[in-house]
Amino acid sequence: KDWRGWNIHVEDYPVSHGMEAFMAEVEEKTGGEIKGKVFHAGVLGSQPDAIEQLRLGALDFAVFSLGPMGQAVPATNVVSLPFIFKSIPQMYELMDGAGGAALGEALEEKGIVALGYYDAGARSFYNSIQPINTPADVEGMKIRVMNNDLFVDMVNNLGGNGTPMAFAEVYQSIKNNTVDGAENNPPSYESTSHFEVAQFYSLTQHLIIPECLCMSKKAFDALTPEQQEIVKTAGKNSTDLQRKLWGEREAASMEIIKAGGVQVNEIADKSAFQAAMGPVYDGYLAANSDMTDLVNLFRNAD
Amino acid sequence: MEDAPRWMKQTERVLDGLSFLCMLIASIALVVLIVTFGWLVFGRYVLNSTPTWVEQLALLLICYITYLGAAVGIHDNTHLGVTIFRDMMPAKINSFLRLLIDIILAAFGLIMMIASIDLVVFGWSTLLPMLSIPEGVRSLSAALCGGLVFIFAGTRVAFRIACHVHGKTYVERGLI
Amino acid sequence: MGLAILLGIFAVGVVLGIPVAFAMGIAALTAFWYEGFPLLLTFQRSVSGISVFSLLAIPFFIFAGELMLHGGIAMRLVRFAQTLVGHVRGGLATVNIFSSMLFGGISGSAIADISALGSIQIPMMKERGYHPDYAVNVTVTSSIAGIVIPPSHNMIIFAVAAGGGISISKLFLAGVVPGILMCVCLAVAAYIIAIKREYPAEAFPGWKAVWVSSLHAVPGLITAIIIVGGVLSGVFTVTESGAFGAIYALLLTFFVYRSLDWEGFKTSVVSSVRTTAMVMVLIGFASSFAYLLALYQVPDKLSSFMLGISSEKIFVLLMINVMLLVLGMIMDMAALILICTPIFLPIVKDLGMDPTQFGIMLLVNLGLGLCTPPVGTCLFVGCAVGRVKIEETLKTIWPFYLAILAALILITYVPAVSLYLPSLLID
Ligand code: NA
Ligand code: NA
Repeated sequence: KDWRGWNIHVEDYPVSHGMEAFMAEVEEKTGGEIKGKVFHAGVLGSQPDAIEQLRLGALDFAVFSLGPMGQAVPATNVVSLPFIFKSIPQMYELMDGAGGAALGEALEEKGIVALGYYDAGARSFYNSIQPINTPADVEGMKIRVMNNDLFVDMVNNLGGNGTPMAFAEVYQSIKNNTVDGAENNPPSYESTSHFEVAQFYSLTQHLIIPECLCMSKKAFDALTPEQQEIVKTAGKNSTDLQRKLWGEREAASMEIIKAGGVQVNEIADKSAFQAAMGPVYDGYLAANSDMTDLVNLFRNAD
Repeated sequence: MEDAPRWMKQTERVLDGLSFLCMLIASIALVVLIVTFGWLVFGRYVLNSTPTWVEQLALLLICYITYLGAAVGIHDNTHLGVTIFRDMMPAKINSFLRLLIDIILAAFGLIMMIASIDLVVFGWSTLLPMLSIPEGVRSLSAALCGGLVFIFAGTRVAFRIACHVHGKTYVERGLI
Repeated sequence: MGLAILLGIFAVGVVLGIPVAFAMGIAALTAFWYEGFPLLLTFQRSVSGISVFSLLAIPFFIFAGELMLHGGIAMRLVRFAQTLVGHVRGGLATVNIFSSMLFGGISGSAIADISALGSIQIPMMKERGYHPDYAVNVTVTSSIAGIVIPPSHNMIIFAVAAGGGISISKLFLAGVVPGILMCVCLAVAAYIIAIKREYPAEAFPGWKAVWVSSLHAVPGLITAIIIVGGVLSGVFTVTESGAFGAIYALLLTFFVYRSLDWEGFKTSVVSSVRTTAMVMVLIGFASSFAYLLALYQVPDKLSSFMLGISSEKIFVLLMINVMLLVLGMIMDMAALILICTPIFLPIVKDLGMDPTQFGIMLLVNLGLGLCTPPVGTCLFVGCAVGRVKIEETLKTIWPFYLAILAALILITYVPAVSLYLPSLLID
């Protein structure tokens, strides 16, 4: 069998290495019965397209961000809620346990088998004005967010002005003061050179949105039970590898931005930010009452 | 086609009406596209709040403009194509090639319609962001295009064969 | 085998005379079927190839161009060009080229250029004793300057095809000098032929007339300044700039020039729908086609094949140019940008070429293809407007081809031609 894997990231990226390692392990352990190739850099289309293709069986495996996945599988929207995870280690624990299992069921209903949850870091605010220590520091700031009402609400509830904008426009817009800042994880903040124009990076870690190593249920069901075990183990191993590589990548990016003159500040107590998210949660649950149990499962975990 | 049979003339009139309707819808979609985008620019830079639904609506409208316009292009024969080789052929082969092309286009239109309806059904449970309408509404434009191409090219196949049977020449619609 | 089916069906379809967009769709459909994929994938790729945010600028640019034509802006540009440069030998040819430069700065569409300016200028030139073939040749070849003079929707298609990461502002700036360079090369060719054929010069109407005609032309030219300025300053995204430019042109022609009536508006909307649909449906099916090329790993294979022949930069660029010229002869621009960019961009990046420079080279090259048979949209429209047979113009068009080739060589091998202006103004 010849598997096709979809990946949005460039070849040299933690996710990409994780996927290659997954494919290599499956190939080796099945004695070459299953072979495959990972198509990097989104050459096979955007994520929404790839999700459909995976469900249809045109793609066999892929790594998807759970953020934009909510359109196809609404349950995954839960991890797009601000501060739903308390920290990265807590995210690992929850996604490897009850939380990941609950999302896995929702995914399976749509023809997607979740094999493991990759780390995509935590998103924090950066801006060109001042360090953010309390929500009061966000007051009046125009901050670019991804095109999702949830994120607009998030910034607005902190007193800022959430502005959806195409990612490619952000650098120039910060430079021209069309927006004051944006939010992202350290590797993106560094590799896009946004740190050159927005020199305050405040580790609010408000969004922790993992990525999912997914398989097409069609392809998965076509495997023998032994092969399914091999695939599951390979998925777990590649998840461990990806998380380790991600940690290294993040540390390297932090070195670069600090050397570039960025003022980084940690936020010891995030409770004021979390408290400000009340209306965001209320609004979300009012519109999606069927998600109440799932949100509580995540929110009430320690 | 002065001496064309009545059913052909009537059918042509129906097809012209259909094509006019498509053009009307596509034109309205274009005007709405421009007006809502004006509203977006105004909102973002003057009112300081971006209407987030505009972009998604625009992406939906462009599909309808494209696919309805493309179907009209089949009706009016205005799509870009290489006719130079075909035109070098003797008249008989030329008109056979034109028949063949219309058959191929009609078949493609039919498959496009059926496959796109599958796509509509498949995408019905996925919602377009910001608009809260099914993703399938987008693919519906392609299904419409397929159906229209089937109708436009298919009737032309019938016309060509009918003209051939009655020993008349079929007069092509104006090429660009 | 799948690849052979894809390319074979496409080639046969094109030769038969099936519209190019549909030939691509049919080829992709067959290849998906052969690979055992769900057939709906063809249309999923096509629909999502169209639903790209940056591509929304295309209908706006096209609509602005149509308003130029039906709202009297084009006429004012021609008059301005005529008072300014009409008095050199063969002056109307220079006017033709110069007004394309200005007009290209607004519409960025070669076809719009020919239908808008050509329908005014070709009859005008014929009346003043220019041969019809010459009038058509000048109009057709100068129209492609508009593709690289900003704003240009083809640049947006290129940026989309390159997978983001390419700044539209930089592309816009990079196109200015190459666009002017092409016009200069064409003007030289046109001037030499004008002397040989003893074409007339117009009388210089005096500086006062230049001043008056420029006042009439300036509000129209502001459309370009709005679009380009909005993008360069970063205040607007390219799509917003396009929308703003289109609305400005609408208000200008309706309220200020008062030359746009309800009929003109309807005509503009309908022509815009037609052109937009034609371009976008090509883009859509080209996306299905390009998906399969990626799946068959054509970019990787072609790249190792080419670098296997030679890794000498000069030679590889020559090979790429020749391939693009040949492809440009048989296919249309938007589709080729989408298909060729992912194939050639990685190769030239490896050779150390700036992606922006490559973009300009690609556009000029494919623009030349618009003037060549058998698929040469500009040539067809130009000949239709001028009522000349294609064979007739082809006998005398070669000096103009040479002029563009000369510009293309400079653009390919001298990075500064494209990159000096952006380097001055960005960072
Ligand atoms: Na011209
Ligand atoms: Na051509």
